[in-house]
Amino acid sequence: MRSRLLITLLLLLFGLPFGLLGLLAVGEHWRFPAALPPAYSLDALRSLLAADNDLLLGLGRSLLLAGTVALLATAGGFGLARAITRSRWATRWEAASYLPYALPPVLLAVLIQPFVIRLHLSGSVGGVLLGLLLVALPFATLLLRSFWSAQITEYEHLARTLGCTPRQAMRRVLLPLAGPLLRTTLVQTFLLSWFDFGLTNVLSVGKVHTLTVQVFAYVGEANAQLAAVASLLLLLPPAVLLLLNKSALLRKP
Amino acid sequence: MSELLTVAHLSKQFGPHPVLRDISFSLNQGEVLAVLGRSGCGKTTLLKTLAGLEAPDEGTLLLQGRDLGPVPPNERQMVYIYQEPLLFPHLTVFENVAFGLRIRNVAKAEIDRQVRELLDELDLREHARKAPNQLSGGQRQRVSFGRALIIRPRLLLLDEPFGNLDAQTRADMQQLFLRVSRQHQITSLFVTHDSREALTVGTRFGYLDQGQLTSFASVAGFVQDARTAIRSELAFWESIRHALPSGPPTA
Repeated sequence: MRSRLLITLLLLLFGLPFGLLGLLAVGEHWRFPAALPPAYSLDALRSLLAADNDLLLGLGRSLLLAGTVALLATAGGFGLARAITRSRWATRWEAASYLPYALPPVLLAVLIQPFVIRLHLSGSVGGVLLGLLLVALPFATLLLRSFWSAQITEYEHLARTLGCTPRQAMRRVLLPLAGPLLRTTLVQTFLLSWFDFGLTNVLSVGKVHTLTVQVFAYVGEANAQLAAVASLLLLLPPAVLLLLNKSALLRKP
Repeated sequence: MSELLTVAHLSKQFGPHPVLRDISFSLNQGEVLAVLGRSGCGKTTLLKTLAGLEAPDEGTLLLQGRDLGPVPPNERQMVYIYQEPLLFPHLTVFENVAFGLRIRNVAKAEIDRQVRELLDELDLREHARKAPNQLSGGQRQRVSFGRALIIRPRLLLLDEPFGNLDAQTRADMQQLFLRVSRQHQITSLFVTHDSREALTVGTRFGYLDQGQLTSFASVAGFVQDARTAIRSELAFWESIRHALPSGPPTA
């Protein structure tokens, strides 16, 4: 009974912000001290269907950026983690992987901005992608380091003696073994770049409008309805990802 | 019997530490060379060097007269069997056994036939659709054997394969290994730290100590060598036998 009450309370606690966002998205002229909006309209949601809608463009841009970062960081992290494990200076390289986290992402963006400008990537999606990769790649590397254990080397050796070329051993043995951890890393790096605001804002110099940046812009303009619609869109892909990867993320050790 | 493997003056060191020192031996078709040695004597490095997973610093390896130096592990047809069965957890028992044939692109019907035959032989047919984590330790090691045998290896390299099994299962697996070895005329290098196991499975014997291999011409030589500690073990069991009261046991 107590656990059921606790679960209900927790569900309420997690669900309340979503309910509030929903109300903000469809409510009109909602002013303090009214507990609920006096009128409801689906206009803001309907406007999403318009071809030139900024929010949908922002959603597409965010999906492209976060998806690319997740793929590149996970693939790169998998290879880098393996290289670090085989290196004579594995602990040093691992320590170096923590360096991007010694600075807040905004400060990191400020520090790398001169290089991004020299590369003629300032204010472009490419520049933001580079910045996000600088954070996501070490994160993925650290996460995937745990995969390359001595036992994995034994699996690889065994596969080689059974007749696998290095590529076959990777495709038929190592990748399936790493599957759950790779999915977790994909989700985590996707979320890392999906929700980033500071680094994206600095490196894009206001030109790359991702969905997160748009939410902040609408909040700044006190446009509660559009901010709520943008926030709902912002929550959609992570919710889908979490649902799809429930088994991998909640797997027992 | 024709000579299958010739190892001449094999040496290997990691940094300043020599692990294998001037190892030479040869192995005929169908022989099982049981190598006894304690932990850290270089057994694993010897097997990995033969498999092509480690490169020797010096020495030559010839398989039926062919220099194995430039041959990668996947082309040596020498399967390494670990102490842990290392079954692929994403594959069923059937697919684990079929693994070596699938990567060689053998026809599906032929794979089905060969795997079923081998599963029958290893008494694993009823477990074909199971995942590795649904099997006991002995069953897993049998699957591991099946996975190695299906590709008809020229040489099996066994690294204390029954070391993690309980005494009864271990004895059963030793008998299974003997039966399958004789039936398929398999040539093996079987390393173990258990002298009884070495005597059970071996047709020839060696002792590896600090990277140096001593080969024995006969079982008697192996038993008599003080380093194998077989005589002291025999003496121990003799003393137990003498200490026991004679006559039938009472309930």
